[in-house]
Amino acid sequence: MARIYQVPSHARLWLTLAIIAASLPQFQDGPWWQALLLLVVLGWRALLDHQRLAQPGRLVRLGLLLATVGATFYSYGRLHGPEAGSALITSLFALKYLELVGKRDAYVLIVLGYFVCATILLFHRGPLAALYVLGCLTLLTASLAGINYSDTHARRRQHLTVAAAMLLQALPLALVLFVLVPRVAPLWNMQLDSGQARTGMSDSMSPGQVSRLTESSELAFRVQFDGSPPPPEQRYWRGLTYSYFDGGTWRQARPPGWGDTDTLYNGRGPQPPWYRDLRAAARGPAWEYRVIMEPSQQRWLYALAVPFTNLDGQGLARDLRLVADNPVSGSYSYRVRSVPAAAEGVTLNGPERRLMLDLPARGNQRARDLAASWRQRYPDDDDLVRVALRYFREQPFHYTLEPPRLAGDTVDGFLFNTRRGFCEHYASGFTFLMRAAGIPARVVAGYQGGERNGDYLQIRQYDAHAWSEVWLNGRWQRVDPTAAVAPERIELGLRGLVEQRADSGGDAVTGALGRLPVLFRLRQWMDYVDFNWQKWVLGYRQEDQRALIERLLGAFTPTRVALALVGAVLLVCAALAVVILARRRDDPARPLEREFGRLRRGLARRGLDVSACHSAAALEAAVGRRWPGSAARAGHWRRYFEYLAYRRDGDPPRAELHQLGRRRRALLSGLNAGADRA
Amino acid sequence: MQALDKALAQVGRVVLGKPEQLKLALACMLAGGHLLIEDLPGMGKTTLAHALARVFRLDYRRVQFTSDMLPADILGVSVFDPDSGAFNLREGPVFSQLLLADEINRATPKTQGALLEAMEERQVTLDGLTRPLPEPFFVVATQNPVTQAGTFVLPESQLDRFLMRISLGYPAPEVEMELLAGGDPRDTVRGLKPVIEPSGLIKLVAHVGKVRATRDLLDYVQRLLEATRADDRLVAGLSPRAGLGLLRAARAWALIHDRDYVLPEDVQAVWPSVAEHRLQPREGGSVAAMTQSLLQTVPVVRG
Repeated sequence: MARIYQVPSHARLWLTLAIIAASLPQFQDGPWWQALLLLVVLGWRALLDHQRLAQPGRLVRLGLLLATVGATFYSYGRLHGPEAGSALITSLFALKYLELVGKRDAYVLIVLGYFVCATILLFHRGPLAALYVLGCLTLLTASLAGINYSDTHARRRQHLTVAAAMLLQALPLALVLFVLVPRVAPLWNMQLDSGQARTGMSDSMSPGQVSRLTESSELAFRVQFDGSPPPPEQRYWRGLTYSYFDGGTWRQARPPGWGDTDTLYNGRGPQPPWYRDLRAAARGPAWEYRVIMEPSQQRWLYALAVPFTNLDGQGLARDLRLVADNPVSGSYSYRVRSVPAAAEGVTLNGPERRLMLDLPARGNQRARDLAASWRQRYPDDDDLVRVALRYFREQPFHYTLEPPRLAGDTVDGFLFNTRRGFCEHYASGFTFLMRAAGIPARVVAGYQGGERNGDYLQIRQYDAHAWSEVWLNGRWQRVDPTAAVAPERIELGLRGLVEQRADSGGDAVTGALGRLPVLFRLRQWMDYVDFNWQKWVLGYRQEDQRALIERLLGAFTPTRVALALVGAVLLVCAALAVVILARRRDDPARPLEREFGRLRRGLARRGLDVSACHSAAALEAAVGRRWPGSAARAGHWRRYFEYLAYRRDGDPPRAELHQLGRRRRALLSGLNAGADRA
Repeated sequence: MQALDKALAQVGRVVLGKPEQLKLALACMLAGGHLLIEDLPGMGKTTLAHALARVFRLDYRRVQFTSDMLPADILGVSVFDPDSGAFNLREGPVFSQLLLADEINRATPKTQGALLEAMEERQVTLDGLTRPLPEPFFVVATQNPVTQAGTFVLPESQLDRFLMRISLGYPAPEVEMELLAGGDPRDTVRGLKPVIEPSGLIKLVAHVGKVRATRDLLDYVQRLLEATRADDRLVAGLSPRAGLGLLRAARAWALIHDRDYVLPEDVQAVWPSVAEHRLQPREGGSVAAMTQSLLQTVPVVRG
């Protein structure tokens, strides 16, 4: 029988912790039975190690394997794909622990662990996740170090320091590889379907159906302006427009018979006329900025009106918004140049005008009557819009996040009965009134405002907003009825508004959070780290790499990149070697010698030079002469040093060295205190 | 150790004002080594040897070395016994437990050599017959400083046989007053009471070997030895035998101080008396200063 090399028991702790740590993230989104499986395995393992249970036999192992595979299939409906695959490998990782007998199994387990760590990064990409994975890697490497130590050197903490040192040494190499190894475009596109779904925009809006708006402080996107950003009341981030109303729900729509090219231009094919007109009108002041989106799984992008991009991966729609070619599934960023004056270049042709005036044949009669009465009195569109806004301002409308539910004619119910609602209600009611009065109008959904953090703005889900646009004087003009009712919603942002209300005893959604400045600043700081992580690490793409290499090496050729790669790796290794060798030479091999040197240096800093040729007792005497008050503490140290150095053979255990270090510090700080008194 | 303290106190009654030298002499005995006392005549060398013999109740003999002395005068001779028709060995003074070899440098090298061989081997071979010397066996040799006329300088190889060399020196004024005021030291020596039996001394000598010397300490000793070899002011460095002797002396010193482990101070305390007589300066200068300077350059703790 082949000899089995036992895994030393002292290596087990790190291995067990590594398995738990590497499996934990999987439990966040995975099915419940995975956690149970790990608990069972850990329990079994503990009993097995104390010889209360036998190693599972072949049949049991086969059964567990089949059950795991079956459960995975049951939970995910398949065994392939990122989610099911990583769930399966994590479970098998746990099961493998049950099989552990010799060192060979431990190696397999640890290598598998490294792979499981890599799968964590499929679903979590923030800086915290990276740190967490680094921690898992440290644990795994510590167990790897542990099984290679013989039993006589069973110091667990030493394994961890060895692992940490190795990883630290590997970091510069990893950095070089990250920067220089050619970044090929992914060979396959992974569709990650779980864990990324966000609350946010939807392609329809049904005011009245929602009785309570769930406010999420999750990040929607960030914007970095080239100059200073526009003032808050001008930050209307347009995402999508709703042009069709069926009496209850507003939806996106385009005139019947229109195709994609009539409404969207993404840089492919010849420029359609409307796009040319827009470009021609794009003159005058502009905002230039970069938007960094969080994954939304949707194609809508957000920008100020009228946004122009380089059309690389996104297109401009005829209703003046940006649309991505693919749903935003990862972190995604794009540069925008917004030219407000370009709105002049928009035309409204017949089919479009009909769509923007379209209302259901029946329903909401009181609203229609109101609009008709206004029309009679005010033939001018401008006057009519002003009157409608005044109506919202003067009638007892009330802005609330918890409006009563509406049934039947939702517009009438809101405008004449409840008069309580949030942006969607106002935008919907206002747009309905405009259309009923014969003015083309649409609802725009997006975000409004944004919090400033350092040199960029963060726009969160609670900044989501809806407003109206009406066709006035030959161009689309933004009208925000919510601003008429609750101007502070626009000026302060929702968070500010809610805080204000919370102070006066209203509903508190984020008020408590906002009133803890430390927490707020911490969150801002975390976001800042996250922003830079997104920008520099996740956002480091092929083009960035190319630009960087061209700047560094002059040209982007395979030979140069290869040479730079080899050169940089050699350089890092050489630097590491120099550091390690220098430290080895400087560092006396023995901890006690180090300790003696520390005390001598400490005394020298306080003005007492003690020759290295003095024994501990001579050192004590010298301290006693100089600082009689510290003689006792010096004796303390001397006795313990002599005890460790001369009364026992072998290097003293760590705890005793710590004890000696404490006495040294007590002695040295005592000298300080004495000097202060003097 | 109480008994050792008492022994020191007893000897201190006759050799006044020299506690360090007494301790060194005691350490030398405990380390099982032989002692060389280098001094002008009349400094109390003989008194010291005699006192040591008294407190350990050792069989004590004294030989005054002269230039006409022969090896047989020390080792003994075979004498023909006409009655039995056989040669009988008449034991010389070396067959004692403590031999005081007074003014050893007055004897010819041949005679010195005979004694020193016996010291090293702890046995005497006469007419093909090997006879062990008694146990314990200590030699306390005295020597006039080499500047004195009419002496044969001990060769280095012979000096190496002595574990330690000490010198007593003139007494301090107040000690001398006390000395003058007191009676005849020889009477006082006779009045000393034994403190430790020879068997106890043998046990103590055995115990010295068990005093702990850790790696840190051995490291220090080794670096001291190394330093003598690297020092170009000296003709040659200390031998490994000298190193073993140094460690043994330091152990004995530790035992006298009631410790079962050696500290660097122990090594430093015995260092001059162990090293000085073994080293020769290349071109004049004081060996004492050189050995002392080595203590000032070799770190006690590496690093």
